[in-house]
Amino acid sequence: MGEQLPSVPGRAQLHSDTLNRPVQTLRVKMVLLGSSGVGKSSLALRFVKNEFRSTSPTIGCAYLTRVVHLSNVSLRFEIWDTAGQEKFHSVTPLYYRGAHAVLLVYDISKRKTFVRAQLWLRELEKHYIPGSTVIWLVGNKEDLAQNRQVSVQEGERLASDRGLFFMETSALSGDQISELLLAVAHRVYECLGTQQGGLSEWEEYPFIDLHHRDTSNPFSSCCKVGP
Amino acid sequence: MSQRTERRGIHVDQSDLLCKKGCGYYGNAAWQGLCSKCWREEYQRVRQKQIQDDWALAEKLQREEEAAYASSHGAQAQSHSQTAVPQLHPGHASLGAFSKFEEKKTNEKTRKVTTVKKFFSPSSRTPPKKDTQEGRTPSPSISRHASFETDQVSKEFVEFLKNLQKPGREIHKQCRAFIMNMSSKKELSADELSECVQDFYQNMADRLMSHFKGSSESVERVMDQVEKYIMTRLYKSVFCPESTDDERKDLATQKRIRALHWVTIQMLCVSMDEEIPEVSEDVVKAITDIIEMDSKRVPRDKLGCITRCSKHIFSAIRITRNEPASADDFLPALIYIVLKANPPRLQSNIQYITRFCNPSRLMTGEDGYYFTNLCCAVAFIEKLDAQSLNLSPEEFQRYMSGQASPRLHSSEGDWPQSGVTAANPVLAQLNHNLERLSLVSSRQQMLMEAAQSMQADLLSWPEGVQREVSGVLEKYPLQILPRTVSAMDANNADSDGPPPLLTAQVFAG
Repeated sequence: MGEQLPSVPGRAQLHSDTLNRPVQTLRVKMVLLGSSGVGKSSLALRFVKNEFRSTSPTIGCAYLTRVVHLSNVSLRFEIWDTAGQEKFHSVTPLYYRGAHAVLLVYDISKRKTFVRAQLWLRELEKHYIPGSTVIWLVGNKEDLAQNRQVSVQEGERLASDRGLFFMETSALSGDQISELLLAVAHRVYECLGTQQGGLSEWEEYPFIDLHHRDTSNPFSSCCKVGP
Repeated sequence: MSQRTERRGIHVDQSDLLCKKGCGYYGNAAWQGLCSKCWREEYQRVRQKQIQDDWALAEKLQREEEAAYASSHGAQAQSHSQTAVPQLHPGHASLGAFSKFEEKKTNEKTRKVTTVKKFFSPSSRTPPKKDTQEGRTPSPSISRHASFETDQVSKEFVEFLKNLQKPGREIHKQCRAFIMNMSSKKELSADELSECVQDFYQNMADRLMSHFKGSSESVERVMDQVEKYIMTRLYKSVFCPESTDDERKDLATQKRIRALHWVTIQMLCVSMDEEIPEVSEDVVKAITDIIEMDSKRVPRDKLGCITRCSKHIFSAIRITRNEPASADDFLPALIYIVLKANPPRLQSNIQYITRFCNPSRLMTGEDGYYFTNLCCAVAFIEKLDAQSLNLSPEEFQRYMSGQASPRLHSSEGDWPQSGVTAANPVLAQLNHNLERLSLVSSRQQMLMEAAQSMQADLLSWPEGVQREVSGVLEKYPLQILPRTVSAMDANNADSDGPPPLLTAQVFAG
């Protein structure tokens, strides 16, 4: 899996400026799975805005994007939130089709969510092709450690048994959030970045407005690149 | 991408591929192992039978309904018809008619036959029928409209390619050749057609990639135009092709959604408050957008409709909850919108987008996300059961069969007016409108009365005048007086003519 590329130096960090953006930007589809109420949307918001409850006028936090800059490449994370209610369990496989990374989120203060995460994992294993998806087990609400019902060891054990990566986070305090995103970015790039057809390149202009795109980007004139 | 290569890698024994009817042609799993010809025959036969069965059932239900109605409500219906024309019966009869109307409505609602009947009524079957006709022999007006649209798109495409100069001509040539090629492949299954188009996209993208020396931005732009051009041209032959059971699925989904008409926003736990005007406006817009999807031809434009619909839903949730909507809120809301809208040819549209859209756009990107959600919503609606609405199986069964409606708390018809008004804003509005109508009709009556009395007045007026005139004539009979007029003239004789002129006077001094 990881032998194509030596591990990316750990000194890379998250930037929010795009001034010294590297040339290549790759698209990464990351899906958040987990029962409702475990804080998937809060995690997603944290990834993107570094705040807990958004005060900015975003209308939704179900689909969010965030660019992560590694030392030699940029990854544009497309974060897909999923409906966690039990009744939607049967339709969730549609979401993680073609996902590069899956975050399996549970609430450390609710054992039920941990059990459900295992159900999800079983479902996930039916569909995923080894080596094409990076799965991360995430114990959220680390700030509620006094009400902890799932120990760190339990999470770690599950992760190592099933070949997952593991981390505990807190969307409330923002603890370990950027570390998680960075770790996922490194891992995804290691596993998929150099594979043929693993990640597709992302371009600056599209996917925002389908109808007025001709005026959207001054750089996208095609006459310039004639033979 | 990876899936496609996998699919190709599967090796199947030659004999498994042949048509099950043994006609010697290759069969296809999508046609239950038959070849295209046998499948079409089989499909037509089954469909014809289905249509006949449906008609028979609909007619039977209609007869039963009429019989039941005539026996139990004959008297009422009669009195209703008598009071139905308020103008003929001035007075309070019109108000009576309205209350009767409401009563009748109530009765109909409790008898529940209507809902069942609705599914089989001819109107529910006419649209798809028209579709098939359109597919085979398009009516002149439709084809003319379509050709106008394709001409427009072709023109735009040529305009666009002019910017590219020589490679533009090459692209145009290739696209035309491909369309010609496709039109000769009418016998292929939908999946094969999809594969052809996808291969073409892939080849074109690869060639463009080498031409533009890796600038995927330019490639994307050209590919969008290519997709628009090709799919506008091919739309008719590849949208809901006869070789698939898309149409049947469309009907099934449509029927299913109709059967679920009773599902309320509370059962789905949707956090949208339609009492807020902005929210209900967003809901209406979302419904319009999702319905509009069917009218677009290019997969990308269809995706655009889904995205716009989703944005309106997000905005509605945002206004209701005052915080950004998560997927937990969004999916139920989308399901609710789909149930409310019952978008035409939903399955066909989804299949069409899946087959002919650029695959990377469906797996990733914002449009892909919303499209996936729509697929989830449809899948959920298909599987929806009592548990997913937090109902007991018995309740679910009763609602589904139309024996009860969740909006009425008792299954009898004697619900209090206010309860209904609270439960259903539409009914509240209906009642409001009824009140207004009765007000209008009472005013009209007053007007009629006034008009009638005026008419009577008008009729009696000439008589009165005549009477008066004849009275006066009798009182003062006509008599000819001796020339008083000339006498008057004589009296004035000296004042005749202009007054004397002022003459200048000279004063001495």
